[in-house]
Amino acid sequence: MNLRLILFCYLFLLQTLAIGQTVLSGRVLDEKGLPLPGVNVLIKGSYDGTTSGVEGEFEFQTQQEGMQILVFRLMGFKTIEIPVDCEGELLLIPNQKLKEAITEMNGVTISAGAMEASDEKKSVVLRPLDIVTTPSAVGDIVGALQTLPGTSAVGNDGRLFVRGGDASEVGIYIDGLRVANAYGTTAGNVPTRTRFNPNLFKGTFFSTGGYSAEYGQALSSALALNTKDLSIRNQGDLSLMSVGGGYSHTLANEEQSITLMGNYFDLSPYQGLVKQDFDFERAPFGWDLEVAAQKKLGKDGLLKVLGRTESGGMKIRQPEPGQEGSGPLIDLRNQYSYAQSNWSKISPKGWTWFVGASISSNSDEIAFDSIQTTRDNQLAHLKASTIRDFSDRVSMKLGVEHFINTYFEALPLQDLKRSFQDGQSFIYTEWDWYLSKKLVVRGGIRSGYSSLTQENWLDPRVSFAFQTSEHGQVSLAAGKFSQAPLENYRVLNKDLKNTQADHLILNYFWNKDGITFRAEGFVKEYSELVRFEGVPMDPVNLRNEGSGYARGFDLFFRDRQTLKNTDYWVTYSFVDSKRSFEKFSTQVQPGFAPKHNLSVVVKHFVTGLKSQLGASFAVNDGYAYTNPNLSGEMNSKTPGFQNLSLSWSYLPRPNLIIHGAITNILGRENIFGYDFSATPNAQGVYESRAIGQPAPRFFFLGIFLTLSKDKNANQLNNL
Amino acid sequence: MKTYTFLIAFVLHSVASFSQPNQAFEEAMKVQIQAMNEVSDAESAQEVSNAFLRIAEAESTEWLPLYYAALIKIEAAFRFDINKDQEFDSAIELIHQASELSPNNSELTALHGYALMGKLSLDPVSRGQSMSPQVMQLFGIAINQDRENPRAVTLMAQMELGMAEFFGSGPQKACGMARIALDLYKTERAKVDESYILPTWGAPTAEELAKKCQ
Repeated sequence: MNLRLILFCYLFLLQTLAIGQTVLSGRVLDEKGLPLPGVNVLIKGSYDGTTSGVEGEFEFQTQQEGMQILVFRLMGFKTIEIPVDCEGELLLIPNQKLKEAITEMNGVTISAGAMEASDEKKSVVLRPLDIVTTPSAVGDIVGALQTLPGTSAVGNDGRLFVRGGDASEVGIYIDGLRVANAYGTTAGNVPTRTRFNPNLFKGTFFSTGGYSAEYGQALSSALALNTKDLSIRNQGDLSLMSVGGGYSHTLANEEQSITLMGNYFDLSPYQGLVKQDFDFERAPFGWDLEVAAQKKLGKDGLLKVLGRTESGGMKIRQPEPGQEGSGPLIDLRNQYSYAQSNWSKISPKGWTWFVGASISSNSDEIAFDSIQTTRDNQLAHLKASTIRDFSDRVSMKLGVEHFINTYFEALPLQDLKRSFQDGQSFIYTEWDWYLSKKLVVRGGIRSGYSSLTQENWLDPRVSFAFQTSEHGQVSLAAGKFSQAPLENYRVLNKDLKNTQADHLILNYFWNKDGITFRAEGFVKEYSELVRFEGVPMDPVNLRNEGSGYARGFDLFFRDRQTLKNTDYWVTYSFVDSKRSFEKFSTQVQPGFAPKHNLSVVVKHFVTGLKSQLGASFAVNDGYAYTNPNLSGEMNSKTPGFQNLSLSWSYLPRPNLIIHGAITNILGRENIFGYDFSATPNAQGVYESRAIGQPAPRFFFLGIFLTLSKDKNANQLNNL
Repeated sequence: MKTYTFLIAFVLHSVASFSQPNQAFEEAMKVQIQAMNEVSDAESAQEVSNAFLRIAEAESTEWLPLYYAALIKIEAAFRFDINKDQEFDSAIELIHQASELSPNNSELTALHGYALMGKLSLDPVSRGQSMSPQVMQLFGIAINQDRENPRAVTLMAQMELGMAEFFGSGPQKACGMARIALDLYKTERAKVDESYILPTWGAPTAEELAKKCQ
């Protein structure tokens, strides 16, 4: 055969192959039938394809033959694959509708009761940095949360009070594990602070009601703090403050990191300079040591360990109303340790696993003149949970928990002691169901059992959220919440049952480009509250008989956008709360629940000064108290509380921060209530003494230096 | 003799046909790299990015098409009025996919840092604290992975300049790095020929930065 002919045939065949082209043409639409531009349309396994145009239209040529797979791909939408037969010259593809995938970013989230501080997520109210740069907070996490809706500032206590609830009604969690005695022990109306340093945490979830079935043992609020993941570099952080100092050192590589920290504080030198109204015989002092370690385990696993131990104390004299002299001496010593470890794994197949354990141990020795008391309690928490995403529309959370709680108190000199131990087991499940991108329903149930009271209980919770406009949404949450009474009551009456609350919350949330508006109305019904006769120090006849309510609304507005380099937020909370509890036989307004609460925080960065200036202002309409010279309970109200605080953070170099703050700069004499003498004087009058502040103002100055190879690192988080 | 010539021609053609996939890849990449340099709006950016993604899907072991798809997304987020956060996030996702195919790749590490720098620029006040160390670290790793990578050095210089401006210190350090980057670009240019499809972008940025100290 002629080679020319062979060659001719070969080239001819090649030519034919090249001619065998098919043109594919069609349109891509979204679920509503509107054109969808930008869709990547392609023949699987080839380079052939195109991008859909403004009208959703596409047209391209392919040299592929026979049965092929045509793929439609667009980020945020579910991919479609259809078989096509590439025969002939023109292939018209029927209209394709792409369904939007529901993701964490585009799906509506339940915002009723919830306030989140995070850098990443949406529906965020605060950023982690805000917590440390709020002037009135002076670096305390809870101090910053007190500028948020639903909270009230109780200046002689310092803890978090939410919507007419007392401080014990707030459950505090670190990485989902409960923390007992999260506040420093204090005495004699000296306000306390959270024990944990804000720079441990990458995000905060704060709920003022209607929260997830994952959280229990809290009638009013859940505060979930999430620790940081792997540190990224070696560094040392040195802090020198007007009240003490500390050093922390971090060692890190790509697989693991560890931070060791030690702090010491003593208010003696400060109190030597600034006159105090309280009669401190020994100014508050203390030290703490902390370790936080993180290690990657496998591809998606992370192991975390956190440990902290601290010791402190103070001595203070408190004059008694109607008595001569400087009053009895209160001598307080506290030891506290907290340790936890948790392992989590997010597998790409839609499973998330979590296993963790924590233990809190607190020991107080308090001498009240010659009466010595000791108090020890431990709380262990074991938890395992899993989250399963069945699809982008349905996900399930399932968890089991066990708590072991021991409490012991004694009068060592009298050789009197009493104690109790309780084991509590819980199982919870919660289901999220997205009916569409704009509508989600969540149903959950939490069931518990106490070995001490043999009580079983079931707390159902339900919530839903609906996106009403591009930037606005409405959520509703309702549920039942149970909490064991305070330990010092349980030790006296081991049959005390759970206290209970029912929540109903309606929320509107609007967020766009740095402007956030949030309005929320709520109703909370209390029942089975603990009541007793006598004084709180020595209660008798403890029983679950109290009940009450809290209802009201709060408003929040934040703007980081309109004014250059300026960020401000304004909060107003109205709480109408009455309850019969503790020694109150009728329903009264609790002393920790002022009706009107207003808070304003403004921060402004001055580039020329390399400084952030901050101001915060809080005001309420006063605290209820009982004046025994008048008839009835909670028959009086203190003057309103006011606090204007200013701060200045100066960043002269990337690794150095100088931070100064003054709280209550106007020196307002705030009064939180009155102590009355136990018996009337000769004129038949109960004499009183105002419960005020340790000093009109508090001055803070701190220098924070970061030592690292990377000179730009700084300690802004430590302020 | 003629017969043999035909035979050789025939064989060569067949060989060429068999080796075509690789050549087709390079050809397709070159076409799209050309198109990438002509991107003028968000739509054309998406078209080119999609074209790279089609190549990536067909060539499931090649990191480079994913790299370019991510690069276009990052550049588009900087230049055009689109959902910037989402675009940076999807670029980072593509970079992760590419890193699975080519671990410890300096170009990918630097690009990851670039995407994160973009996210940082959207909200420097609240993101700076957590993200700027991450960005610096990624550029640092990228330089260690390949000391000849001019883009890693340029991006690091850019970040240094931002820091220097914020804290009012001089731009000397940034300029010094930019000059090093310019030398690296020169070395890189010598390697570029007809078939070169690896990244070459960034020289004008380095020149801009180097000018800051004059």
